[in-house]
Order: sequence, then C-alpha cells, then structure tokens
Amino acid sequence: MSQSVRRTSRERLQGAGLDLALPYLLLAPSVLIVLGVLVYPLWDGLRASTKLYRYGTVLRDVGFQNYLHLWSDQQFRNALWVTIRFVTFSVAIETVLGFALALFCLHEFRGIRLLRTALIVPMVITPVVVGIVFRLIYASDVGMITTLSEALGGSQVQILGNPMKAFIGIVVLDVWEWTPLMFLILLAGLQSLPQEPFEAARVDGAGAWRSFVDLTLPMMRPVLAIAIILRTIDAFGTFDQVFVLTHGGPGQATTLVSLYGYDTSFKFQQVGYAAALFVTIGLIVLAFALAAVRLLRRVEPI
Amino acid sequence: MRSRIFRAAVVTLLLGIVFLPIYWMVSTSFKSNEEITQETTLYPHAPSFANYVHLFSEKEFGAYMTNSLVVTAASVVIALVCGSLGAYAIARFRLPFELERKVGVGLLTLRIVPPVVILIPVYLLMLRLHLLNTWIGLILTYTAFNITFCVWMMESFFREIPVDLEEAAMVDGDSRFGAFCRIALPLAAPGLAATAIFAVIVTFNEFLFALALTATPRAMTMPRGTATLIGRIDTDWASMSAAGVVGALPIVIFALLVQRHLVRGLTMGAVK
Repeated sequence: MSQSVRRTSRERLQGAGLDLALPYLLLAPSVLIVLGVLVYPLWDGLRASTKLYRYGTVLRDVGFQNYLHLWSDQQFRNALWVTIRFVTFSVAIETVLGFALALFCLHEFRGIRLLRTALIVPMVITPVVVGIVFRLIYASDVGMITTLSEALGGSQVQILGNPMKAFIGIVVLDVWEWTPLMFLILLAGLQSLPQEPFEAARVDGAGAWRSFVDLTLPMMRPVLAIAIILRTIDAFGTFDQVFVLTHGGPGQATTLVSLYGYDTSFKFQQVGYAAALFVTIGLIVLAFALAAVRLLRRVEPI
Repeated sequence: MRSRIFRAAVVTLLLGIVFLPIYWMVSTSFKSNEEITQETTLYPHAPSFANYVHLFSEKEFGAYMTNSLVVTAASVVIALVCGSLGAYAIARFRLPFELERKVGVGLLTLRIVPPVVILIPVYLLMLRLHLLNTWIGLILTYTAFNITFCVWMMESFFREIPVDLEEAAMVDGDSRFGAFCRIALPLAAPGLAATAIFAVIVTFNEFLFALALTATPRAMTMPRGTATLIGRIDTDWASMSAAGVVGALPIVIFALLVQRHLVRGLTMGAVK
C-alpha cells in the first residue's frame, strides 16, 4: 500500500464526533500514571540533587555542589570503576559465550529443546535467589566449592573474603544468569538471516571460518550491537544479586554504584547527594545508549 | 559420529553448569544445619522437610507470598489494560504535532533510564502520600514501570495487524472503539500473552523498590522477605536455602509452563 493511500485510509478511520477524542482518551491512563509515578519523581530527583540534606530533611540549596563533590569522592570513583569493570567483563564474556552457543545450536538436533528450556531457568529465577545460590556455592566453610575441594582431598576455598576473587565471583554470577539471554537473542538473529549468501559461498568453496567472518559477522552486527547495548544498560543497574551475595564487600571490592547510592541515601540519609549520584548514573547510561545507537545508525541505516 | 558425541558432551556440560548450582541449593534445603556445617555432604543423607515447615510456621512466608501475588496480578493487569489502549492509539492515530509519536519515544526513553535513578524520589513521593509499606504504593510503582514496556511491545503487535480489517468492521457499523475490541484486540492476543508473561516475571522478581518501599510482612513481597530473612540469620544455611527455593519456585514453574511465549517476549525488539 502506498504512503498516500495509507494516510487517507487513516483519516477515514479517524471519523468524527466522539471518535475524535478517542485517541486522547486511549492515551490518557498510561500517560497520567507514568507522569505521576515516573516523570514527576524524575523531576523531583533533579531538584533534590541540588539540595543539602541532613537526616532526611532539607538544610539548604547547594546548586551543583553535590555533582562536583561526587568527582572528588574516593568511594564514588571506586564504585564507578568497579561497575565499569564489572559491566565490561560480564557483557564481553556473555557475548562471546552466547554467540558461540547460538552458532552451536543453529542446526537443530536432538536435545536442543531440552537445552533451550534449561537455559530459561537462570534468567527467570528471582535475582535475590540467584544471590543465595551463589552464596551457598562460595561460602568458605559449607559452600559447594569447598565441599568439592574437600571431597577431592583439598582444603577450604576462600572466595568472598578475597577482593579479587569476590569480584570474579560476581562476574561469574552475572555470566551464569545472563548468558542465556544473549544466546536466545543471537540465536533468533541467526535464524532470521537469509540463506542464499551462505549457499553461494559454499558453492564458491568458502570454508566455515571464511563464511563466518565474511557473512555471519557483518550480517549479525546490528543484532549483536543491540544485544550488547541492552545487556550493558541492564548490567549497569545490577543491585539485587550483589546486595545479597557480598553487599559490596570485602571492603569496597564489589561495591557497584547502585549499592553505593543505596547506602548513601538509606543508610547515611544523604538524600541530596545520593540523588545527584543517581542522576549522574542515569546520564552516563543515557549517553552510552545514545552514542551506541548513533554509531549503529552510521554503520548500518536501520 | 564424532560430532554427535561432541554435541552430547557440550549439551551435558551446559546442563551441568545450569543445574549444579540450583541442585546445591535444593539439596542443602533438605539437610539439617548439623549436616550442613559438620559433615558437608554432597547430598542430604537424612532428607526432611523441616526447613520448609519452619519457614511457613515461624517466619512470615505465607504473607510474603500473598503480597507478591496481589501486587503482581494487580499491577500487570492495570498496566496491560492501560498499555494496550495507549499502544493502539500510537499505532493507529495521527495526532497534531506528532503527539502520539512523542509519547511513544518518551516512554521508550524512560525505559532506558535505570530504575535505580528514581528510587529516592519515588520513596519520598510514597512517604508524602502515606503509601509506604502498602500494596497500593507497590502496585502504583510497578504499574508505571510495566506501562513503559507494555505500550512499546503492544504497539509493535498492533502494527502487524492490517488496518483494513478494522475498516471493514466500521463499514459494517462498528464504532471505532468497537472495532478495536472486536477485531484488533483478539488478533493481538498472542502479543498480549507475551507481554503479560514478561511483565509477571519482572514484577514478581523486583527487589530494589520493594526493599525501599516496604518494611513489614504487611506489604513485603517474596524477594524482599527472603532478603530480610537471610540478612537476619547469617549462618542459618538451612533456612536460607529453603527460603531461596520457596522464593524462586513459583516464578520458575510459571516460566516453564509458558516458555514458548516467553522466548518471543524476551527476544523481540532486539531482532526486529
């Protein structure tokens, strides 16, 4: 159907009388709820971020001081650095594993349905419970790793008490939980690719590796990019699992920005400062998303 | 032949990686604390349901479960109703100043912002409205979050339905809204199911806002209650593992029952 025909049919559909108000009535409930519960708080948060609070009450306006203070706050800089490392390692590993797994499962075979069903489990389990699962694995006295090690004649294994190992521990948790999502998205992407180029390449005598590099990778780039963007945004807000597993410890080794912000507002009651922190995180994520989408558009017009 | 053995090996390895951690929690939940701490066995030698009985008789797990079910059901249903109506308006109408497009883009942008960003102001809002530690406070919050992606998902499902069908119904005398109810909505039913399932899982599992907005068994949800329990009893591994199993079981069963629609909901948007 051509553009002009579509437009006139739309106009015809719009009708007259009460029907003219219909679209507004349809949109109203959603817009009102979102304005009240999301947009107003967002604005309120911006306002709170320019104020100084003590024990939950406003003392005075401080302008952008909260924002400036953030960058000289050693703990915030540490939390940001931990988060960036956490997101980078987790998403990179999940992408590589998920892609490999999707390629492996592309050609249907027996057992694949079972595998696909099984892979749903980690990502639908309540994240708080995922935290418990991994606490039961890492615990130095009764954990699965220690138990296995002792069964094999070894000794206790310390994980959550060691900064480096605890950090690796939360990355492993994230990889366990979210590689399946990468896998499902990339598998759906692979299955939607056209078959002809691959057949042509095979006729031309191209090997599996060549057709992967020359065909699969370039054609999968948009899907890969979107999967990575979605996962990165999500990973940046990780809270539940780490709250339960390490609560940021030992020391500050696994303190993600979300945990630091939560503690600043609810434990230390520095509401304005925490609001500035969260606004900053929001801006970082938004900037990342916009930059990534723009980059994607330039490479491949969608 | 060799490739088949290789495949079987990979599949077995993956199943092991997925299920071994879960097996460990489930098996621990059937052990006594003595067996857990003193014998560190690989499987429960004297399995018992004592930990579970304890959870429901002495802790408040019944209340958490009720709260979770009520809050999840209410916020998903409200969001689906409001969201479908809004999505339909965006998919079908052209408003002045491209208003419908702007609403759509606005909702999508809100979806990108990590929820943690508005945690504090939402807390302050509920404090002022005296809705802290109530079902309504949680339902309002979750409904708003669910609407942002209900609209977005439902819009793409409505776009797939040819507009001619509704026109035909209107020629036959249906009102505009009647055409929506009788034609578009039933055709979008699979989309509605996928959206609902996704919303149920996300809402049931939500923890951060439940942590900030609830404080007692009057409104605490399952994840919130579980986290409180393990915060209090740091080394009561038996209760902790049983709480983990009870906390996750409803949503895992639900997800496995509806997995066909679930995969569609999870992967759509990325591949389109």
